[in-house]
Amino acid sequence: MKRTNPSGTESRPDSRAQRAPIHARPAQESDLPALIPLIVRLKRLNEEFDPMLKVRPDVEAQAESVLRAELKNPKSLVIAAEGTGPDKDKVIGVLRAAIRERPFYMPEAEGVILDIYLLPLYRRHGAGQYMVEHAIALLKERGAGIVTVEFPAQNEIAGRFYATLGFRPITSHHARIL
Amino acid sequence: MVEARPPRSRKSVPLASPPPEETAESEASQTAALSERALRLARYYRGKVETVPKVPVRSLRDFSLWYTPGIAAVSEEIKRDPARAFDLTGRWNTIAVLTDGSRVLGLGNIGPQAALPVMEGKALLFKYLGGVDAVPLPVDVSTPEALIETALRIAPAFGGINLEDIASPNCFQVLEELQRQLPIPVWHDDQLGTAAATLAGLINALQLTGRTLASTRTVLLGAGAANLATARLLIRLGHDPHQLTLVDHNGVLHAEREDLDELQLRNRWKYRIALETDGGGRRGTLAEAMAGADVILAASTPVPGTVRPEWVRSMAPHPIVFALANPLPEIWPADARAAGAAVVATGRGDFPNQVNNSLIFPCVFRGVLDARARSIPDEIVIAAAEELARCTSTRGITEQHILPTMDEREVFPHVAAAVAESAVRLGIARVRATREEFYERARTLMARPAALTEALQRSGLVDPMPDEPVPPKNPR
Repeated sequence: MKRTNPSGTESRPDSRAQRAPIHARPAQESDLPALIPLIVRLKRLNEEFDPMLKVRPDVEAQAESVLRAELKNPKSLVIAAEGTGPDKDKVIGVLRAAIRERPFYMPEAEGVILDIYLLPLYRRHGAGQYMVEHAIALLKERGAGIVTVEFPAQNEIAGRFYATLGFRPITSHHARIL
Repeated sequence: MVEARPPRSRKSVPLASPPPEETAESEASQTAALSERALRLARYYRGKVETVPKVPVRSLRDFSLWYTPGIAAVSEEIKRDPARAFDLTGRWNTIAVLTDGSRVLGLGNIGPQAALPVMEGKALLFKYLGGVDAVPLPVDVSTPEALIETALRIAPAFGGINLEDIASPNCFQVLEELQRQLPIPVWHDDQLGTAAATLAGLINALQLTGRTLASTRTVLLGAGAANLATARLLIRLGHDPHQLTLVDHNGVLHAEREDLDELQLRNRWKYRIALETDGGGRRGTLAEAMAGADVILAASTPVPGTVRPEWVRSMAPHPIVFALANPLPEIWPADARAAGAAVVATGRGDFPNQVNNSLIFPCVFRGVLDARARSIPDEIVIAAAEELARCTSTRGITEQHILPTMDEREVFPHVAAAVAESAVRLGIARVRATREEFYERARTLMARPAALTEALQRSGLVDPMPDEPVPPKNPR
């Protein structure tokens, strides 16, 4: 799904539609109409991996209220991805992250990547890596000494992707429906 | 062609114009009569193929040559050089007709046992049309991995494997994996046979209507095994992917469709085509996709009215309409022509222009077996389609004749030779010969089964049809 490449502009011998470098910037309130469906798509994708991640019927409204709150919260980070060329100004991806305190461990400030979603056409070519590294730089600026990421345990594609970026499992998150 | 099947969720589409009453009615009664007779004959003959010796047996003493002790020397020879199996046994001409029974005809997942009569029929076609010895082999597996494993384990007996009636998308995974791992040709007829026959018809239809593939805008209705393969081959042949629109029961397949993430996980072949074509620049419904299109290739729901005449009318001038669902085409040919279609093809033999994979698979296997090819890459599939189109074209094509009928089988050895030559050119042939030599070999091998069957019938070793009067021409 995502390839490692620092520039985000690597050209692979795929169709021309797939040569789609992207550009990241802080999200604004005016991006909400574009960002909400992307978050919803990601949550629905997570449900594909695990029925314990069943999406709520009010997911759109929830996505909106969560994003609205995060745009105002200094501990939160919402990044919008735009296409380039003809897709300039088109929001094609999103990344949500937050700064959390670690009361018992060092480093004390943890940057957590909560969600990342790119429209299928803009995946690969290092786009995902570009987004993550952009977010890490911002989290570091805000004092994070460690960065973590959350995704469904069944999502092996994400597991491999983050492994190539130097991530490894640190805690496990287990669940049981009641 | 029997392989165009209804998609999993079948929506009932209101009919654009009611099908001609007598056509639908006579169709139904004809199908019922055929079903009843097939069942009666199955009871009578109890199987359609049998093992027939191809060596003389003058007395039981000959078995010391055909069997132990003499045969040990042959085994030792093959032990020394396994490739000798192709010279010293029937492996060179024997294939498996392998299925898990997960999608048989329009019947769905009926399982391996119930698939056996269909595989027997396919084996008969392979022998009669292609001179290929085919073993019907339905197997009891529940995962694509188990089917792959089974195919790998039976491969020593076979010179090729024909996969049959395997549900999409598992069929893609099974074919890809076996093509990667096995040193013999593997083919999935529901994908490749149908796609190649479609391509051959389309090449001639484009020529008739003065089009080139590179400037053609095409809609494919249905995104199952056949149409995904057709789309891939079209692009490979030079069709602009951005002029190619696939439509399924969710509408135009494009890169931003809601179900794309799910497809990435469950059907990466369809996902890839979605990204590559991105809906051919279209969004929305079939009607929106067809507006201005040059060609529609429908392999979807066997319900006339799935493609409506007014949508055909909205296409570019002199459009090409392939309505390949069986037994009922997506639009009746008469309706399509009345709506302006210049060339109409269906999957049926009782209308002109039957897109029939029986025009392809006997020739492809004859060709790859004769060249002892290691695989069947897309180049070979395209070579078969192009040669079939060319053979038809040199005999003269019209709007009513873009493909040979099954009565014009003299083209078969030509297609087989083109396949074999293509394998040589690609460097995957283990037998090198000229095109003429391949042609002669194919012609001989393809003619033999008809002569054999006729001889068996004439001698009374094969019973005449029990429900027909004995022909008077051979009075005892």
